[in-house]
Amino acid sequence: MTPADGDGRAGRAGRFLRENSLGLVFLLGFLATLAGQLLAGRAELNNDLVSEGLPPVGLLAYATSSDFAVDVTENWQSEYLQFFLYIFGTVWLLQRGSPESKEIGRAGTESDREQRTGTHARADSPRWASAPGWRGVLFSRSLGLVMGGIFLLSWLAQSVTGTAAYNEERLRSLEGPVGWGGYVTSADFWSRTLQNWQSELLAVASMAVLSIYLRQRGSPESKPVGAPHSATGVEG
Amino acid sequence: MRGRRCGGAAVRAAAVSLALAGLGACGVVEERRNAAGAEAVRFEAARDAGRHALLCAALAPGTRDELEETARSGCPEAIRQAVEEDDLPPAGAVRAVDVWGDRARVVLEGDTLFLSRFPGGWKVTAAGCEPRPDRPYRCGVKGG
Repeated sequence: MTPADGDGRAGRAGRFLRENSLGLVFLLGFLATLAGQLLAGRAELNNDLVSEGLPPVGLLAYATSSDFAVDVTENWQSEYLQFFLYIFGTVWLLQRGSPESKEIGRAGTESDREQRTGTHARADSPRWASAPGWRGVLFSRSLGLVMGGIFLLSWLAQSVTGTAAYNEERLRSLEGPVGWGGYVTSADFWSRTLQNWQSELLAVASMAVLSIYLRQRGSPESKPVGAPHSATGVEG
Repeated sequence: MRGRRCGGAAVRAAAVSLALAGLGACGVVEERRNAAGAEAVRFEAARDAGRHALLCAALAPGTRDELEETARSGCPEAIRQAVEEDDLPPAGAVRAVDVWGDRARVVLEGDTLFLSRFPGGWKVTAAGCEPRPDRPYRCGVKGG
């Protein structure tokens, strides 16, 4: 290997990191906070177990427990629901003055020319953008469908792992276990679910409205600092 | 093309891993169900044979402490009293075993036991339990 080869490889790696820093930083942040949740959740459960005269659980046992899984999946489902609703909702719903909204009067799925689909697809468009039939329809909605699909799977996982965690707690309290149907109609399931949904919906509403009047210089989530409050669908 | 083949193999590997994990989880639950049921049967056999020291050894530490404090005596004497006062009724055969994580409920013909998994195996956390509508079981022997 020559020094030039090494420099070239380092340069490519540096460029890759710069060009993908948004995804990489958030992915690493996700892993770090998940590890933190694992440690804090285990400590909390062990406090309860020891106070009841029961043996504490090890880190691996907690990482594979329903207690940890339900706490993780209840947050996942609400985040993916938030993005699913935002992606589908912003097709039809508008907010005057918000960079999160399309311009007033453009509600709907828009024309093939505006969306560069069908015969209006260009040479650099994805292949399925010009595909006729179900492939074109599917690709045109793929982002929302995948987000919605992950939401449903996470919510199902929350219900299954929640049933197990809830029943383990009921047996600890000398109560009989319930089935999946009993759990998904229980206060525990809906309390966990709705406490997450309300915060996600509040965050979306805040973002849509606050971004009318406030700015973040350099962020594509904000209008340019000098853009008028009335400008809709303008990103910085 | 190579990427796509690799992706397919990765999906297949993930599916096989998930299936094996699912089967493994089922195996673990079945193993725990059998072990909890067997411990309940041993507990009831010791009760029927009047082997109070064995009954004490089968109790979870917190349950044994609570029993001794309530009876103001050592565990074997306290458990003898519990049997005499019908706090631990004759149980009969096992009807159902429910296992969720490290907890279990064993329903027998004449009694219901609650157990927890300890490093040395399953221990009885509550015995002589009767169901009550919309409330926890009432148990003759239980932890604090």
